[in-house]
Amino acid sequence: MSEASAQRPVRARRTASRARTGAHRTRAPLASLIAALALSCTLGAASAQATQLTSISAGFSPLRLGAPTALSLGFDVRTPDGSLPSALTGIVFHYPADLGIGTSGLGLASCAPAKLSFAGPQACPANSIMGRGSALTEFQVSPEVSEENAEIALVAGPAQNGYLKLLISATGAYPVQARIVMSTLLLPGQLQIHVPLVPGLPEGPDVAVVRVNVTIGGNLTYYERAHGKRTAYRPQGILLPKRCPAGGFRFHASFSFLDGTHSQAQTVVKCPRG
Amino acid sequence: MRSMSRSAPTSGGALRRALLSGALAAAALSLGLQPAVAATRTTNVREEGSLRFASDEATQIVDEGRMSGTLPGSGRVYFSYNGSPNVSARFTIRTAGGTIDGTARCRLNNPNSPTPSFRGALAIVGGSGRYAHARGRGELFGVFHRRGYGLIVQAIGKLSY
Repeated sequence: MSEASAQRPVRARRTASRARTGAHRTRAPLASLIAALALSCTLGAASAQATQLTSISAGFSPLRLGAPTALSLGFDVRTPDGSLPSALTGIVFHYPADLGIGTSGLGLASCAPAKLSFAGPQACPANSIMGRGSALTEFQVSPEVSEENAEIALVAGPAQNGYLKLLISATGAYPVQARIVMSTLLLPGQLQIHVPLVPGLPEGPDVAVVRVNVTIGGNLTYYERAHGKRTAYRPQGILLPKRCPAGGFRFHASFSFLDGTHSQAQTVVKCPRG
Repeated sequence: MRSMSRSAPTSGGALRRALLSGALAAAALSLGLQPAVAATRTTNVREEGSLRFASDEATQIVDEGRMSGTLPGSGRVYFSYNGSPNVSARFTIRTAGGTIDGTARCRLNNPNSPTPSFRGALAIVGGSGRYAHARGRGELFGVFHRRGYGLIVQAIGKLSY
């Protein structure tokens, strides 16, 4: 269902020979800055053997039944001993199917995945931006673990089989300059995302995603043409049902990792009072 | 459709009366006379409307507005779209002679467009007044305005009532 692509400015050779379990490897190189840094480092063996622990978060802003809202989703990955987690290879996110994402008015234009991959979300039509967020990744620079923040953009891609396609771009600037683009169909109540592997330093483990927070909707600016004029407006956002489901809005996620392990997490957004 | 039932004759006199009335009915039919039963009318219907957003229930949009065509009046459509291209609608057309209720299952095209179109089969399932026993089939065409939730709909089909 999902596609993935990765693009980096400079190519570097990688000689990793670890067995990989089912996931497609993206041979994206490191930036020249990090390649130079790698030469001065002592490289160590991967220490991602421990089972990954995951947790997810979800929230609506505002949390008002029957009103348009922004949906925030997030997850954390960690290991019991604090070591570098195994690289994430896939996520299946389940959310309440009666959330009005199809009627949100988000994604009124589409962006070509290649354009997003090469030029970033700023090259995409404003009306294709569906949300934003951030990610924290970790990679081994033995014996230490380094971190990198990435900006996430949620962008509407070309529809597939009549379903809206969500493109997820993650752009890191420092210390590794890189952008990966993932895609998923906006199925009712489900997002299935294949996460491409991003190589760390030569001989080291792949980059590990340890935290992601995204918001669908929220503070976005769209444009429409009325009476010959281009006018800015704020898209309505996801429509919350007027009735809260028994027990609240339930979210569930399944995570797959490169070491073959799987993890599940769930959370509930409680019904508002009154 | 109305259903009629009649109890069986229980005596010889009743049996004779039943046979007599049957013979009279057969004679009347042979003379070309029609029994006094309401005839079902079937008509081709073409209805169009540009509907405005009235309310919503997350994945369901409720639109209302004037309908023009064979049976002019006002319309209310409950349009359901949860992200799947298979959309559904319930509708009521309010005319001078009563209301007509129907359902439709359609396929939505170009979901990225600000105004995706949809098309599918509709069924008339009932109504009130003159159309209390309405039945029918046809096609529903439409455009969904994702920005303001308005609907442009066109229904074409056959209506029996």
